[in-house]
Amino acid sequence: MLNKKHLLGIKDLSKEEIEEILNQAKVFKEVSQRQVKKTPALRGKTVVNLFFEPSTRTRISFELAAKRLSADVINVASQSSSLVKGESLIDTLQNIEALSCDIAIVRHTVAGTPHILAEHTHACVVNAGDGSNEHPTQGLLDMFTVKERLGTLQNLNVVIVGDILHSRVARSNVWGFLKFGCGITLCAPPTLIPRDIDEEQGVGVSYDLAGSLKKADVVIMLRIQRERQATHFFPSLREYVRYFSLNDTTAKALGKNTLVLHPGPVNWDTEISSSLKERLSPLILDQVTNGLAVRMAVLYLLSLRKEQKR
Amino acid sequence: MSLLIKNAAIVNHHSISKGNVLVENGVIQKIRKNISERNVSKVLDAHGTYVLPGFIDMHTHLRSPGREDEETIESGSLAAAHGGVTTLLCMPNTEYPLDNQQRVSWVRETAQQIGIADVYPVGCITKERKGKELTEFGHLKEAGAIALSDDGNPVENTLVLRRALEYASAFNLLIISHCEDTSLTAGGIMREGKTSSLLGLAGIPSIAESIVVARELELARYANTRIHLAHISCKRSVEFIGRAKRDGVRVSCETCPHYFSLSTEDWEERYSALLKVNPPLPEKEDIAAIKKALKNGIIDTVASDHAPHTKEEKNADLQEAPFGMIGLELLFPLTYTYLVDKGNFSIKELVRMLSVTPARILGFSVRGAIKEGMRADITVVDTDASFKVSEDDLYSLSKNTPFLGAELKGKVLATVFGGKVVYNELK
Repeated sequence: MLNKKHLLGIKDLSKEEIEEILNQAKVFKEVSQRQVKKTPALRGKTVVNLFFEPSTRTRISFELAAKRLSADVINVASQSSSLVKGESLIDTLQNIEALSCDIAIVRHTVAGTPHILAEHTHACVVNAGDGSNEHPTQGLLDMFTVKERLGTLQNLNVVIVGDILHSRVARSNVWGFLKFGCGITLCAPPTLIPRDIDEEQGVGVSYDLAGSLKKADVVIMLRIQRERQATHFFPSLREYVRYFSLNDTTAKALGKNTLVLHPGPVNWDTEISSSLKERLSPLILDQVTNGLAVRMAVLYLLSLRKEQKR
Repeated sequence: MSLLIKNAAIVNHHSISKGNVLVENGVIQKIRKNISERNVSKVLDAHGTYVLPGFIDMHTHLRSPGREDEETIESGSLAAAHGGVTTLLCMPNTEYPLDNQQRVSWVRETAQQIGIADVYPVGCITKERKGKELTEFGHLKEAGAIALSDDGNPVENTLVLRRALEYASAFNLLIISHCEDTSLTAGGIMREGKTSSLLGLAGIPSIAESIVVARELELARYANTRIHLAHISCKRSVEFIGRAKRDGVRVSCETCPHYFSLSTEDWEERYSALLKVNPPLPEKEDIAAIKKALKNGIIDTVASDHAPHTKEEKNADLQEAPFGMIGLELLFPLTYTYLVDKGNFSIKELVRMLSVTPARILGFSVRGAIKEGMRADITVVDTDASFKVSEDDLYSLSKNTPFLGAELKGKVLATVFGGKVVYNELK
């Protein structure tokens, strides 16, 4: 039984809890393939999407997940609090309380914000991405996809490529796959590797893409943001692409059964060469489908827990 | 007006002795085994306590003029009295910075009118703390400035700092340096390292401090001037300072209680803006180096870096929330708890760090000891008492400390400032 009131990060989940979520997601994936896709599991519940950072894909996925479970959904989009110092968070808290909502799905540009909100509200908080910290449902859907394709999560070689420093997807995947005894290689220019991260047991660092792809069971390509160039993380996008993109040459190092994942949306010809689009797109789109099932599972399991508590 | 403190266990730098202390006209007149209570206007029975020279806090922010919602000279003075601090320096990075005579003398005179702690303004080194033009050092000193600092900012331009150090030496004004390479700290929330990497929080590397420490030491060596380095928080800084001291550089420095009582591990426990402080909370190896440096005198003193912020400000997200925590009222309990009770320091060493060395650095000849002829700045403490830190007990207008709810040992029971009892729980 998922033993948490909130889903703030994969870091806090046990292996068993992850498995439980993935099993439940499998059930919901089947439901999504039926003619009638809706279940009454969350009827009468209110879910609030609190997005302090612009997002379309994740918000839509959560919104649809909640609707498929028959919950009422409210979307609150708010710009980050940089203009009105300190007021935004408190206002938001009061909003949650006033709406007497059951589950708050929170995305924020700064790490730790969902955790801070969780301390001050009666609602369940689901982290939909906090700064560079975690994006737990993305990590879970990546794991779901891997398990579905490879049949196991145990002892895999996972390579994560790209802007590790700023990536919440990377951290959620690191925490998740580590719990299943996987070995993780982080591959990026040294400027985009967080300091001392390889001091964590099971985590290694490489600057050689082709070399790290050779032994990979799973490759997770991260989005690279063009702004990073302006802040000296690399001299040009051209040079980044030259050494860290997946293209026809580097793809030769991939094994036949190696899975290539991407949290989307892909910058084609930046992280991945568009010549590989046909080959890699189906799995990346399947991740989106799985994301819906995983988010339904998370909302459903958290609502069960809350009922028990009452 | 006379005051008798009887049954006192008097702690000085090198001794602990029993006796009665007679205070007259703000001065310690007599210390004897027995002093008659006759003709004495007030008696404090200090039985079962320690009587220490009043603490001197070299680093506080009292936020006035400009942010009186965070702290005022009065509330800061009350907090000082509650914390056993009788002399304190307040930094000039106020909303209206202390870069001219009027503001400096306003702070000094306001504090004197309130009269419950000796508040000395620190003047700005440069106008508006912009690091460009020097303030009028001589005029600021005449207006009451005891030292100069652009605290909150470093003086980035090395030439400007060189001139400041050289020019200040003519007025015997101490320059206090805030050591930070801001190009390395920009956007950071906590100390960079494995923990920040795993938590996804933007890091502030320790070299942001130590690189500037190294520069300040080279400058002070070359210019042959004094310099005081504020809030030292990392091992490499301590190593540089230790070497400079051995070489005869006239450097003094302070650390703060949160650099030997909290660490990056506290961030693993909770995401809380109350932990956000600049310099950031250190790693365990820094704490060991800091304690060692306090022991052997490489770090001279412990200052609070009392930095009040309102609840609203600290309730923001971690990026938006300002740096700093209050500390005037916890300076003694934290130092006692972590260095004496849980550490290998004696109460005499605590007196050295909190009273003796800051008096020496600031040139106060009649403070920092309980002796006949000294000014009657006296703090009475109970080292057996434990207490829980609670908002309700804090006199500071702001309550931003991560120690709320913590159990600490060592309580200030009474504070005497210039012969006047300004805080008293003794009966």
